[in-house]
Amino acid sequence: MDPVHATIHPEVPGEKTKIGTSLVDTAASAIQSFGPTKQIHQHLCAFHFYADDMTRQVEAHHYCGHRNDEMRQCLIYDSPDADARLIGLEYIVTEDLFLTLPDSEKPLWHSHEYEVKSGVLFLPGVPGPVERKDLEKVAKTYGKTIHFWQVDKGDDLPLGLPQVMMALTRDGQLYPSLAKDTSSPNFTSQTGTDWANRASSKKTKKSFHVRTQNTRFKLGLFGQTGPMWRLGIVSPSKRRGRTGHIWRV
Amino acid sequence: MSSTSERNGAGAGKNGIPAGKPVSTGQQILDKGAQMLQSFKPINQMSQHACTFALYSQDMSRQIETHHFITRLNQDFLQAAVYDSDDSDARLIGIEYIVSDATFEKLPPDEQKLWHSHAYEIKSGLWIHPRMPEMIVTPELKNLAKTYGKFWCTWQTDRGDKLPLGPPSLMMSPQAEGEGVVNHELVTKRDEKYKMSKEDLVKSRIEIPEPEWINPMADYWRQHKKCFGVDVESTKMKIETDYSIYS
Repeated sequence: MDPVHATIHPEVPGEKTKIGTSLVDTAASAIQSFGPTKQIHQHLCAFHFYADDMTRQVEAHHYCGHRNDEMRQCLIYDSPDADARLIGLEYIVTEDLFLTLPDSEKPLWHSHEYEVKSGVLFLPGVPGPVERKDLEKVAKTYGKTIHFWQVDKGDDLPLGLPQVMMALTRDGQLYPSLAKDTSSPNFTSQTGTDWANRASSKKTKKSFHVRTQNTRFKLGLFGQTGPMWRLGIVSPSKRRGRTGHIWRV
Repeated sequence: MSSTSERNGAGAGKNGIPAGKPVSTGQQILDKGAQMLQSFKPINQMSQHACTFALYSQDMSRQIETHHFITRLNQDFLQAAVYDSDDSDARLIGIEYIVSDATFEKLPPDEQKLWHSHAYEIKSGLWIHPRMPEMIVTPELKNLAKTYGKFWCTWQTDRGDKLPLGPPSLMMSPQAEGEGVVNHELVTKRDEKYKMSKEDLVKSRIEIPEPEWINPMADYWRQHKKCFGVDVESTKMKIETDYSIYS
């Protein structure tokens, strides 16, 4: 691993990395072991939207590793470049594992079937037949995605609360400009994506759908009083601010 | 409240063993094939491994050992993938962002409440870079001592969850007193694994300057005697953009 520092990041506030600091990075990356991150073996692209706002859609570059045959864990970046911002993470599980989740947990997860069949979820740089073998498995999985950095809103730092994200479930949800963004090097230069052909070449059997129609979930923050750390009593408040705080003193 | 609710028996598998079957040979071949063809630039930027401790803000008696795999984006900003160990089968338990004091001071107070300081855990030897000679990492420790972090934990493995359940938890950093003190056994276990001693590090880190001032909005629980939990609430999803605002 040979880190190349973004000297001045175009979007993240801060000074250029000093030489003394970058020398430590170079030494550390040579000496230390990176066991967990060496497991990351796959780059997967998809789109997410905010669970409480389908109109906000984000390109998500997943870097995934298998924990075992039924579960992957992915780091999500806003681009495939060296200076990409780490904006969230996703856990991906097979249907068998998904069905073991408590009912209260399932609504935080989303299915992948549509994304794979429509071609919106894909593996950049991997030839079709090889890609298809893995995507056939992904199509039957469920994901839980949380984003921490709302880059689509123009935040230059990871502000606010975590956001539950959802995946596309049918045609017409994805903004065409994102799907056919020829100015984005992420989708065209690497893969020459042809959305129509991608969609028709994938046929997988129907799987269990999470019911995610009108109810969505967002995360709210509430205060607890100490020193016993009792749970704060949560009541829905009409005075909820932008960050979704619910305060009960 | 979801983030402190009783552990759910989610997932199959014996205690401590993750839910799911081991990776099949077929999958391994697929993975290797794809890996050779793809580029992993963001992952290759991870340049440091740090090990420290964190506390759940909604219940500071729950404390965990964390392993951060850190990328520096510039002199004032780092981003870290956080795992529960440094083994190849480690679980991804969250993400931490680290900013310099200069950047932190520009954040609005409502945002600052969600962050924690790092000075104590660096000076006390709780934060280490495993296998790195202390002399080499000292310049970085001097930077880090003045930083603030925001750490969201998405998988509560300390309570035995076999899959990541519930909303993320906000995490706090170790501090010198009160609820911020890290359980001694947890530290000893970590120190034994890496054949080091926190007490030795306290001595060798005496020369690392303390920040002159730690913003009182950080480590919110210290001044305000309360801290934060995160819960899930249902809401109506917005599905159409309101174009009238553009007219």
